[in-house]
Amino acid sequence: MHGEPYWDETAYYQFTLTQIEQHLEDPTAELHAMCLDAVEQVVNSEELLAKFKIPPAFWDSVHRSWQQREPSLYSRLDLIYDGASPAKLLENNADTPTSLYESGFWQWLWLEDNVNNGRLSRAADQFNSLQEKLINRFAEIRQYYQMPSDAQMHFSCCKDTDEDRGTVQYLQDCASEAHINNGFVYIEDIGIADTGVFTDLNDEPLQWCFKLYPWEFMLRESFSDALLTSPTQWVEPLWKSVLSNKALLPLLWKMFPSHPNLLPAFFADETHKISQADVKKWVYKPLFSREGANIRVVENGQTLLDTGGPYGEEGSIVQAFHQLPKFEQNYTLIGSWLVDDQPAGISIREDHSAVTEDLSRYLPHVIL
Amino acid sequence: MTVRKRTASINLARMRKSFALKPLAIGIAGVFLTGCGEERKEGIIYTSLQECLNDNPASAAETCRSAFQEAQDEALRTGPKFSSEYDCEYEFGPNQCRTVNTSSGSFFMPFMAGYMVSSLLSPSRYYSQPMFTSYSRHSPFRSRWVMADGYVFDGDIRNRKYRVRDSTLAKKPEVNRTIKRGGFGSSVRAKSSWGTSSRKSGWGG
Repeated sequence: MHGEPYWDETAYYQFTLTQIEQHLEDPTAELHAMCLDAVEQVVNSEELLAKFKIPPAFWDSVHRSWQQREPSLYSRLDLIYDGASPAKLLENNADTPTSLYESGFWQWLWLEDNVNNGRLSRAADQFNSLQEKLINRFAEIRQYYQMPSDAQMHFSCCKDTDEDRGTVQYLQDCASEAHINNGFVYIEDIGIADTGVFTDLNDEPLQWCFKLYPWEFMLRESFSDALLTSPTQWVEPLWKSVLSNKALLPLLWKMFPSHPNLLPAFFADETHKISQADVKKWVYKPLFSREGANIRVVENGQTLLDTGGPYGEEGSIVQAFHQLPKFEQNYTLIGSWLVDDQPAGISIREDHSAVTEDLSRYLPHVIL
Repeated sequence: MTVRKRTASINLARMRKSFALKPLAIGIAGVFLTGCGEERKEGIIYTSLQECLNDNPASAAETCRSAFQEAQDEALRTGPKFSSEYDCEYEFGPNQCRTVNTSSGSFFMPFMAGYMVSSLLSPSRYYSQPMFTSYSRHSPFRSRWVMADGYVFDGDIRNRKYRVRDSTLAKKPEVNRTIKRGGFGSSVRAKSSWGTSSRKSGWGG
């Protein structure tokens, strides 16, 4: 963490109800609906599935997962919003979003404490119904799969990441509140049995499994074949591999050109469209990348910044550069949460540096 | 304010924690509730299809065949499985094990030594269960009849008739024998050597 605080309680952001509802909540619902329209197109087009670099072996499964509307749990849209002009979609973290515990619980508790201590007005509210909606959603998922009362949902993340383990523990707690028995297994410890089912360390089958691990990795690793035959129901479901893919950004721009909440975006090989667009500064992003890795900022053909990293072999997209708003010394990015299809709150990250997508401090907010 | 935009209330006792890790969930072993007054049936063990055919009227021949087939299928589905031939032979004796190949890998399991049938001539439904036995000096199953779930019958394998409960004849749960682990997570190992990120963190966005 570079010795800087990740959770910063010394400051907070203040919004009006109009800003929250009209500038963030409504656009979040609309953007999400647009994204789902895009998924509908992708799963029905081999050309698009190929552009999204979904391995062909999974095309049928992705399509089926979407046709059956296998239930999703949550997403986070990253929005650039300065308080006045329309929020712009930077990307959709639809498969493995983190900072959930900070948003749903700590931020809520921070407001509760500050109101009770008289430091904030009793009228202060917060756009944050994450926890309530997560619990309700788990109950819906339990019903959708008709989970027996003694059934167990597994939760999984990688080893050696306290942050991810915290997110997953929080989701386990939410599942418990929804009366779902739950257990945990690390991604690396998942096994495959002779019967074709995935197993935990006790050889118990994974019937339902939440995974904080990207589909784009799972579809390319050695157990990927077994995904096609195993009976495990995954949360997030397989169709989220389309939604979390950065190829979604150029497709959205194509489907909804000049939408006020979108930034111009193209596939990196659409060079003629890129040169014709009225944009001088572009950001190149790999289809699959995390935490601001392999981001390249290009202005008039000159590379201004290249963050480097291990991604990019699957191809890239370009998105018009849009400056993060600066408040005092800090650049700010809004994470706008959805539980299933419902906007469920926001979280705010900021940093002294303007490199997008790797903002190190988490700040709470109030509505007044 | 009319409508609150935040969660109404939170179970603080449950949610407030500093990311304490819970122990791994311990699987709950299947427990069969056997009623005291449960009826018992006669179960007969045959060591081959021919034995069943010889022992029953000709009209039961088809039932003998399907009971034998069902037992073989159940043996594969619910029988004991080992990742090495040594472990299997340690439990069941030399040359008592076979290799089973599946799409997800191979493992070893004992040969079915016989099958127990009950109500074979009943017009409703018959029962059929695979039976195993051991020739290993190390095993408590030595010279005994044992079922796929480890239920051991009294007396030695010359006993072919037992009074058994319905629950004993019921289908056994499928046994998942993990063959391989570590098939997920390799992308993390490959990519985490790269570390300019400001946070040591995982693969969430």
